[in-house]
Amino acid sequence: MSEVELQLCLALPTPNITKGFKFNLNNYHGFDHLKQMSCSGDKTSRVIKKRDFEHAFGNFSDDCNALPLLLWSGQPNEEDDNHNDRKKTTFVTDDMNDVEVDQVVGWPPIKSWRNRTCHHHHHHHHKRALGNGRSIYVKVKMEGVPIARKIDMRHYHSYQQLTNSLITMFTKNEKCDGDYNARYTLTYQDKEGDWLVAGDIPWHGFIRTVQRLKILSNWG
Amino acid sequence: MQKKRAYSFPDEVLEHVFSFIQSGKDRNAVSMVCKSWYEIERWCRRKVFIGNCYAVSPKMVIKRFPEVRSIELKGKPHFADFNLVPDGWGGYVLPWIVEMAGAYPWLEEIRLKRMVVTDESLELIAKSFKNFKVLVLFSCEGFSTDGLAAIAAGCKNLRELDLRESEVDDLSGHWLTHFPETCTSLVSLNISCLGSDEVSFSALERLVGRCPNLRSLRLNRAVSLDKIANILCLAPQLVDFGTGNYTTELQPDVLSNLTAAFSSCKELKSLSGFWDVVPAYLPALYPVCSRLTSLNLSYATIHSPEIIKLVSHCPSLQRLLVLDYIEDSGLEALASSCKDLQELRVFPSDPFGVEPNVSLTEKGLVSVSLGCPKLQSVLYFCRQMTNAALVTIAQNCPNFTRFRLCIIEPKTADYLTREPLDVGFGAIVEHCKDLRRLSLSGLLTDRVFEYIGTYAKKLEMLSVAFAGDSDLGLHHVLSGCESLRKLEIRDCPFGDKAILANAAKLETMRSLWMSSCTVSFGACKLLGQKMHRLNVEVIDETEPPCSRPESCPVDKLYVYRSISGPRSDMPPFVWTMDEEGTILH
Repeated sequence: MSEVELQLCLALPTPNITKGFKFNLNNYHGFDHLKQMSCSGDKTSRVIKKRDFEHAFGNFSDDCNALPLLLWSGQPNEEDDNHNDRKKTTFVTDDMNDVEVDQVVGWPPIKSWRNRTCHHHHHHHHKRALGNGRSIYVKVKMEGVPIARKIDMRHYHSYQQLTNSLITMFTKNEKCDGDYNARYTLTYQDKEGDWLVAGDIPWHGFIRTVQRLKILSNWG
Repeated sequence: MQKKRAYSFPDEVLEHVFSFIQSGKDRNAVSMVCKSWYEIERWCRRKVFIGNCYAVSPKMVIKRFPEVRSIELKGKPHFADFNLVPDGWGGYVLPWIVEMAGAYPWLEEIRLKRMVVTDESLELIAKSFKNFKVLVLFSCEGFSTDGLAAIAAGCKNLRELDLRESEVDDLSGHWLTHFPETCTSLVSLNISCLGSDEVSFSALERLVGRCPNLRSLRLNRAVSLDKIANILCLAPQLVDFGTGNYTTELQPDVLSNLTAAFSSCKELKSLSGFWDVVPAYLPALYPVCSRLTSLNLSYATIHSPEIIKLVSHCPSLQRLLVLDYIEDSGLEALASSCKDLQELRVFPSDPFGVEPNVSLTEKGLVSVSLGCPKLQSVLYFCRQMTNAALVTIAQNCPNFTRFRLCIIEPKTADYLTREPLDVGFGAIVEHCKDLRRLSLSGLLTDRVFEYIGTYAKKLEMLSVAFAGDSDLGLHHVLSGCESLRKLEIRDCPFGDKAILANAAKLETMRSLWMSSCTVSFGACKLLGQKMHRLNVEVIDETEPPCSRPESCPVDKLYVYRSISGPRSDMPPFVWTMDEEGTILH
């Protein structure tokens, strides 16, 4: 839970107003009691109210009914299929507490459709374009796994399909080790920059808003 | 009884004189001369521009200007482009269409920017305006190809359909077939934003073939290179062309067919598109390059050598949009080849990467400023900057009207001196006396705002992010920038004092946006209460601002002047205060 909290503090902390100054303040009632509120504190408390994790756990409006519990052996994949990702050390650190605080909502100020085209190009320019104008490429990171993956959301049509694919992607063998039952939660970052548990909005809405995916472990 | 006037022209004469006055500003001035001019002018105003759809109600516009033929409306604040305005905030065009359907049966043109347009709105347009000619949907959303089909089928004299940068729901690829065979009036068609399955190419070809006046055609990404030659041969009169994918399987004839097709286009001045460029096909463009004034390569992932080759064939270029693959070396070549350059936009190919992936620095922009004396408009994304470079650029280009610099990492200092970039931007506003638009970035203190307040007297739009130290910075801007119309701020330590002290200024502006700043809810309430011609909107998606102490800063604040009072279509996460201090919701 604390990791998600941290991830949600995306705004840069604002400095205190310390300078004194005078200018003409017409119609201005004293606001001297105003205290500088720390941005990060506010964001945390606000975010917890936004998403009741207990409620969201295992609650889907779609056909999928087993999303938060991804059972697999927990062996990470060795190779990333795209070595461009290696350059981006901020996204691909091996720290368990890796927090992607560098990505601030709406910065740099580039229109989202331009973003989509550029990302597509940067990572896949060596492939022949197949006229697929609406690919939605999303980074997927799994907690404890150093290398992130990238998937095209357009290849999936349901949460079940997505999680099946993710299981395959992040495991070496497809067999589940019976003795080692890890439970995972799939979370996503939406257009507003908030991290939410995947599955409580219809799939159609989900793919329109999802920016990134992160698979968190849930030790019971 | 008519008063005797010293000079009494009949109204018809005045009306005729006024018909030569097209600009909205001039018309507004005319209407202020005297009552009779106001009356005559309002009856013959044909074109209305409304910069904020919530500043005035449709009924008010219709009442004052009963004979309008062309309307332009803007909806969401600019920062909506960067996902800072939540979905559902507003900007709905339907109420406008409904009112105009009754009042303006002869409406010909609708131009919208950042508005929510539904299929219902589009169907209503198609049904209500018998002589409808021009529909421009710039960065709009909320509609599907069904709505487009209604427009195609219903508007018999359609001249322009321009969907630039809009988000369209793809439901069916065949909306183009709804243009009747009798439709031959198209002059401009821009479908570049559509996804892959949305265009029936054969229908498109037939449409292009039967519209002899087609001057501007921008295709979408799904159209591959081999199809372009056919299209160009059907429309050699094109002035502006947007390709689709600039790629296809390597075949021997494609290049020669394409080159021949481009050669036949003697009027072509503007090119765009170029998704997925295969450099081997770029020479097909050479026949038109010498005439090209505008080139948009901002989707083309070609690298510096190829860009240089292309650009060096274009001596008449006035406008270039390109990715930072052009690098400093490419910009140097641009500076020596394109002496007529007026506008340059350089976009980042890898905006979220931490390390630079290309060698594009402040030096590239300095080269262009040196080599292109007509340079007026710049949008430049880079990762490093110095005060010295900015000072040089300012001195080289005193004619800048728009200068937008985005140093990708917030609060980046001058990399040589480690100082803030106050002096550099100060030089820009000091030397460029006609500067109308400015976007700041990098490490900036209150000092840069002092410079801006002092020198930027013609500045109309200012964008600020991660800058400043205190309210004094904001105060400098609000009290100094006489022409300021739009101010948008994010993540700056600006709070109540500057806003409340300059409340009257806000009524002279179109709008103020502040997000992740330190303006308290109490100040917002006070502002809304005292300033009756301002709508003060607090946006907070997590919880109501009144559930916290009044001293808490609001998440997002949007203040705009309005003569129609608070709007009635606010979503649950927007609060505003009316005159009595009641919080409306």
